[in-house]
Amino acid sequence: MNKESFLYVVIFTFIVAFVFVFIIALADGATAERVARNRELVTAQAFLNSIGKSEEDGLKALDEFNTIFKDVDAEGVNRAVVNGRDVIVKQFQGNGLWGTITGVLAVDSSLSQIIGLDVISHSETPGLGGRIEEDWFKDQFRGEQIGPDGITVRKGEGGVDDDKANSIVDGITGASLTSDAMEVIINNEIEYLRQEVAK
Amino acid sequence: MSSETPAAVLKKNLWTDNPIFVQILGICSTLAVTNNLTNTLIMTVAVIFVTGLSNTTVSLLKTLIPRKVRMIVQTLIIAFYVIIVDIALRAYMPEISKALGPYVGLIITNCIIMGRAEAFAQSNPPVLALWDGITSGAGYMGVLVLIAIIRELLGAGSLMGYQIFGEGFTTWTIMVMPPSAFFLLGSIIWAAKTIMFKKEEA
Repeated sequence: MNKESFLYVVIFTFIVAFVFVFIIALADGATAERVARNRELVTAQAFLNSIGKSEEDGLKALDEFNTIFKDVDAEGVNRAVVNGRDVIVKQFQGNGLWGTITGVLAVDSSLSQIIGLDVISHSETPGLGGRIEEDWFKDQFRGEQIGPDGITVRKGEGGVDDDKANSIVDGITGASLTSDAMEVIINNEIEYLRQEVAK
Repeated sequence: MSSETPAAVLKKNLWTDNPIFVQILGICSTLAVTNNLTNTLIMTVAVIFVTGLSNTTVSLLKTLIPRKVRMIVQTLIIAFYVIIVDIALRAYMPEISKALGPYVGLIITNCIIMGRAEAFAQSNPPVLALWDGITSGAGYMGVLVLIAIIRELLGAGSLMGYQIFGEGFTTWTIMVMPPSAFFLLGSIIWAAKTIMFKKEEA
């Protein structure tokens, strides 16, 4: 058969496309379960981190997650008891500088104090806004009092705000827009939770 | 048909015809992934894997591929291997997959891979094409790793996440931003060219 003929080109292209796409579909199907489990695990670990119970081991993390949060509503308000304290845990989503920031926020049931915060995914600049996922930044929120206007992320001197009573955390140097975005996202969540709790 | 020896291919891809500092290909990812050594290593290994295997596949199919659709078929083959890498990372290395984000998918558009498939694999036997793909990827890796080491060391004071410089080190914010890769790449091209010209004169 002539290699440059119309029929050969069509048949050849079809067979090549079919074979490669078929193998991809197989590979995707074979790993789908694993990928879904990985995603579950990331969420479970974020929930645990937000209430200060980090667990590195995957299976243990899932177990612990399931015992603390019996029925998790990924979008809604979850209540749990942590060390004898009632807490509200909610997954959040908001606009960062470049894309969506998703994470988990835990507050006490009277909405007067943040228990903790974890970031699940973001697309901020690595090394700048991307530092919102670093512990020094997230730990500032642990135990921070919530003021009447929520939380303020301040342009600091590149340090860490240790005062847990002032409702202020230090932002990230060189990433003011991401820091501002985090402030808006967290305050929106607190506002939303206030309305939900008042219902 | 050109017949090249493996040693000549190696020398060409690593030095005299290096994809980054001589051919100036694949610059997008050079700027994007080099602010962190771990990501750079995974990314460059993925590129070596894709260049090697796509080269081999193109070379194996070269007598069957009709001339007028050869580019489309090459792209299909490259895309196939990139998606396989992406699936593998998502399933077995979720952390790295998250860190690399969209850049794994963008390997498809890396000009080095397309360039090798078109310029080398189309006219050489499979084993030599595999070798050419691997060494081209290694040429790319060498330059990227060098840039990543400088950027992570000065930008974060660490290497592969381990703190190298003490607490007192003031990090260079510019080093984590893409422009620093431009400056470093420019310097590397300059240094490499200077050495090459010196050798020619001698």
